[in-house]
Amino acid sequence: MILLSAIVAGMVVGLLVSWRTKTTWQPPSFKYGWLVVAGFIPQFLAFFLPATRSFFPDWLAAASLVGTQVILLAFCLLNRRLPGILLIIIGLGLNLIVILANGGFMPLPLETAANWLPNEIFNQLESGRRIGSGSKDVLLPMNKIILPWLADRFYPPKGFPYQFVFSLGDVLIAAGTFWLLVKSALPAKPIVEESHA
Amino acid sequence: MKNSLNMFATRINPTHVKFVFMLVMLAMLVLGAGAPTDNGSVGH
Repeated sequence: MILLSAIVAGMVVGLLVSWRTKTTWQPPSFKYGWLVVAGFIPQFLAFFLPATRSFFPDWLAAASLVGTQVILLAFCLLNRRLPGILLIIIGLGLNLIVILANGGFMPLPLETAANWLPNEIFNQLESGRRIGSGSKDVLLPMNKIILPWLADRFYPPKGFPYQFVFSLGDVLIAAGTFWLLVKSALPAKPIVEESHA
Repeated sequence: MKNSLNMFATRINPTHVKFVFMLVMLAMLVLGAGAPTDNGSVGH
């Protein structure tokens, strides 16, 4: 859900910019939009929809995650000329690399989970297993994670109203999304004609 | 009622529709590309 807040923030700032500059907000136009739908539906069924996700065995959920991220990466590459998409490509690429390197799920270091989760929840988790059927994360000790800096190892300070863990890739995806929306609201640069004086 | 529906329909232009589609696509993209986890999805 935290990534959706990047969309909301981008929309709010985009609206403010277009109001301030008195320009019409031109939404970015994506090509090959069907790839996003094709890339999202298997993930929706495997991770987001409570009625279906429990039917997915881990191997099939991992395959859905990797397969759909490849499709989404292809979509981003086909739309690479849009502002911010390059950041999304790098973020998605980093997430995909660490997921592939660690068996098909995003690794969550035990040490991070111990600090981030309340004790009673942490004690119910098992190393080497997914932390829930609605999560893309697998719990692993730090020394067993390949590319640990790309894992879900960051979390907001204690007391922050919304607690979550995220990766470097997630930060880049959120930044790219925000920039895509804000840049669309900025007035286009005027074409400066060369003077032949 | 019919009048207000007509009024609403005439106010929707292709840019609005394009904008909504773009937002839905962007939401699907970021949810699919990202892998953050909140503590609500732990253990379920």
